Amino acid sequence: MTTRGASAEESRAPFRYMTVIAQDPSVVRRNGKIVMAKVAVPSEDLVKGPVGYRVQLVDYDATRRSFLGSHVLPKTYELEPKAWRRGDSSIVKDLRFHAQNTYALVMRTLARFEFALGRRIGWSFDAHQIKVAPHGMADANAFYSPDVEGLVFGYFDGASGRRVDTCLSHDIIVHETTHALIDGLRPKYMYPSNVDQGAFHEGFADVIALLSVFSQPEVVEHLMQRGRKASQGVPLMQRRDLLADALRESALFGLADEMGSELEGVRGQALRQSAKLEPDPKLKDTEEFREPHRRGELFVAAVMQGFIKAWSERVLSAGVPGQKTFPARRVAQEGADVADTLATMWIRAIDYMPPVHLEFGDALSAALTGDFEVRPDDTRFELRRHMVSAFRSFGFAPASDRKDPPGVWHALPEEPKYDRVRFESMRTDKDEVFRFIWENRDLLRLRARAYTEVLSVRPTVRIGRDGFTVRETVAQYYQVARLTPDEMASQGITAPEEYLKALKQADKRGDGDADHHQAADADAADNGDETASNVTPLYGGAVLIFDEYGRVKYCVRNDVFHPRQTELLDYLWKEGILRTGKKGSWLRPMNLASVHLLRAVSARSSQSERW
Amino acid sequence: MKKQPKRVEIRSYQVGFGDCFLISFVYGTTDKRHVLIDFGTTGLPKNGKPSVHMKRIAEQIKADCAPSGRLTAIVATHRHADHISGFGTDGKTGQSGLVIKDLRPKRVLQPWTEDPKARPTARQATTNGSNKGFVAALATMNDLAARVERLVSAKPAWMSATVRRELQFLGGDNIANKSAIENLIAMGEAKGAKSLYLRYGAKSGLEALLPGVKVRVLGPPDLTQTNAIRKQRQRDPQEFWQLVSGMVPLKAGAAARHLGGASSRAGVPVEGRWFRDRLVSQAGRGLLEIVRQLDQQMNNTSLILLFEVFGKKLLFPGDAQLENWSYALAESKNSKENAKLLAGVDFYKVGHHGSLNATPKKLLWENFAKRKGKVLRTMVSTMPGKHGSKTSKTEVPRATLLAALKDGSRLKSTVDLGATDLFNLETIVP
Repeated sequence: MTTRGASAEESRAPFRYMTVIAQDPSVVRRNGKIVMAKVAVPSEDLVKGPVGYRVQLVDYDATRRSFLGSHVLPKTYELEPKAWRRGDSSIVKDLRFHAQNTYALVMRTLARFEFALGRRIGWSFDAHQIKVAPHGMADANAFYSPDVEGLVFGYFDGASGRRVDTCLSHDIIVHETTHALIDGLRPKYMYPSNVDQGAFHEGFADVIALLSVFSQPEVVEHLMQRGRKASQGVPLMQRRDLLADALRESALFGLADEMGSELEGVRGQALRQSAKLEPDPKLKDTEEFREPHRRGELFVAAVMQGFIKAWSERVLSAGVPGQKTFPARRVAQEGADVADTLATMWIRAIDYMPPVHLEFGDALSAALTGDFEVRPDDTRFELRRHMVSAFRSFGFAPASDRKDPPGVWHALPEEPKYDRVRFESMRTDKDEVFRFIWENRDLLRLRARAYTEVLSVRPTVRIGRDGFTVRETVAQYYQVARLTPDEMASQGITAPEEYLKALKQADKRGDGDADHHQAADADAADNGDETASNVTPLYGGAVLIFDEYGRVKYCVRNDVFHPRQTELLDYLWKEGILRTGKKGSWLRPMNLASVHLLRAVSARSSQSERW
Repeated sequence: MKKQPKRVEIRSYQVGFGDCFLISFVYGTTDKRHVLIDFGTTGLPKNGKPSVHMKRIAEQIKADCAPSGRLTAIVATHRHADHISGFGTDGKTGQSGLVIKDLRPKRVLQPWTEDPKARPTARQATTNGSNKGFVAALATMNDLAARVERLVSAKPAWMSATVRRELQFLGGDNIANKSAIENLIAMGEAKGAKSLYLRYGAKSGLEALLPGVKVRVLGPPDLTQTNAIRKQRQRDPQEFWQLVSGMVPLKAGAAARHLGGASSRAGVPVEGRWFRDRLVSQAGRGLLEIVRQLDQQMNNTSLILLFEVFGKKLLFPGDAQLENWSYALAESKNSKENAKLLAGVDFYKVGHHGSLNATPKKLLWENFAKRKGKVLRTMVSTMPGKHGSKTSKTEVPRATLLAALKDGSRLKSTVDLGATDLFNLETIVP
């Protein structure tokens, strides 16, 4: 049986189209219709819910304790109600549309990541499907929670008295999905050991969300035309409108103004700040920006200001000499292209980031490396140059001191030994990769007495803009050393005094933080050792990138006996992430919902001032 | 020679989890002038009854206001119940507020947020813009707390016992105490009396009544003051608290505007039930987080007063937390001078009953020079087991802070009072 107008070929196409809100219901055209967008999502036959192979939407409202129903989404783009495509205000009350909007943007973000990384991405928890509650609770908040294995979108009455659903905001859905995806790729980032890492989840999710919005030409064109009088013929922009400062104003501030102000509490002020913050390398050392829930704004400001500069230069250089006016649509298209490329660059960067103890400089080197591998020729947008310059202006230099190409990770100092491992198995087999690591333990500076676990080995295929294909294998491994206080001291690591006292008590009484979360920390194994309760887990690890011939291209690592392990432990303790326990100390993940709340009320939570 | 007190007596009354301090400036045997700082409780030791105990404390305060039988001033540092419930005139605290009223205070000092004229509905508002928004936000917070209290007393099945206990405590502390507030206003409007609503840097209005005593107001700043130095545009705080108010319905099922369209009351399908259960407990934790933040914001409206007398400095900060302290000690243009001033503090009333974030470690505590040789005197009015938890290192009073207080000062705690003792006494001499 075929559906009307759909051939057998079409129904098995890898992608299908769905209508979504381009930004959120407050971004409207002159005729009052909501600006809509058509997005490509992976094709699948959905079950009522909708439930698919990666997403399980459960429309349950925990505040009202009521179930809002299982939804059946239109089978094809053509079968969608016309009101959806037109952007009629009625869609704001249409629960079926809410379900589609949420599902489509979660899937699109997932597809985006899979395209950029060249492979399937899992979630951090064991299930195949992430649960999504589009009206999860009455709350001016939206969050990812590994505890509930899902994304929860809140709703509330806005200042105008009208109901606001966070599941209708493009950037919020992408932001939360990004948290889930980073967690799947880098689970240890939920246990930040320094202030940059604490800020990374928020900052990175904001960046992907904003670039995702700007990747839509419809939205960019709408912003370019804001406030301009409708004139005959093709809308034009003046040269002065395309200088970086002017674009910053119209694009960044413009979008911030358009976005519902009621949602600023939910999304924070990163976008507005990215437009407002004047680059200053001293900001990163101020108390205000050492708060993890604020520091992400610096990351966002660097990326977005770099984006604007790249866009401005591109447009102005692409014109003929002396050109004074530029078609707005062309300008918008260029902006969308730059945003799209930049988003892909940053998603790819994750594969080149160390598994633990990330700092912004590491993230930057990772982005530069990943991009260089796939797009060696950066002359079109000069993105890498703009990123380096923007980050430097906020005081962040690439972690790698390599000069050519600048900021890219160094190769290993010498060739590893490959003679005892099998190439084919290295592409997929964790044990084979472990053998490789073990054989080369001196070169890779593996700590023999720490427990090593290879977390994942994945073959990837990355495709550059110009069709350039790169085949790699990405392997990630951790090292954990569980040391007693004496053993730490012998390594030159000093643990915080209060922590050592708490350890002694845990040891004596055989208790500690009685919290069921401890069981969730996979590394907190009960080894039956009598001294188990006074050991502290120290983490290190690396990412190995192998080329298509099985040769190591990069090894991005952090030593278990990191020279700054003392500082890292101190941070983990003060932030309440490191906890004592019966079976040894363990790490408790940060709570993203709380981070959003702290941001919304501008709380100060400086750990150095607390008892 | 200019008139000045010969000694200062500070009484810390037993009010369980709460604050009640009487500072007596002794000029001579018949000339003693008294300032009452806070009078409230949210829990008494051995489950004492507030209607009995608070009346007794009020009578003791009256006795201690001898020989004049008058109070020079009352300071209500902020509107939390554990600081003002005793000013209430209803039966809840045995009409203790009437006993206090009889002491005919000449001045009633409160933070600028408590000024009735600061409310957005006031005819001649003393505030505008963001300040007005903030005051409105506080009213919304009170309202939210009231809703939470109602929700908790309904004992919903989905709420765990731990969540309920904490919500009950925080909710109760944050509801508007109408009787106490009205009494404070009335006392300030009595003949010969005056109400003062103060912000950072304002004149306390007490110098004329307390010769030889200087009183500085180090907090709270108002929004005009903080906006001038913060990098982040201050959003309308009223907006946020109004938005989250919707989390707790006035009536069951009345949360945020109901969406039209198909709304099946049928149950969640089998495969969705695990998620539903998790969502529900998440909702409870989410509500708790919001209420905790609300509580902190309220604490940050505390008046911070520094009394200087015969070269000695006495610091009374209410429940001020880092945000409030930050302004005085790190952000304002006089912050360096303030820090120098506070380095010489001789007496410190421990903030927020000894909690983890009301005595900023580096900014405040480690700056007290008189910890050396335990010259510094401290007093804490508190009761363990009411607020926070040991597992999350948030117990009030906080063990690590208590250790530091005992180590670096001569500490007197109401926890150590015997069953029949009504107050701790500290005497400060030149």
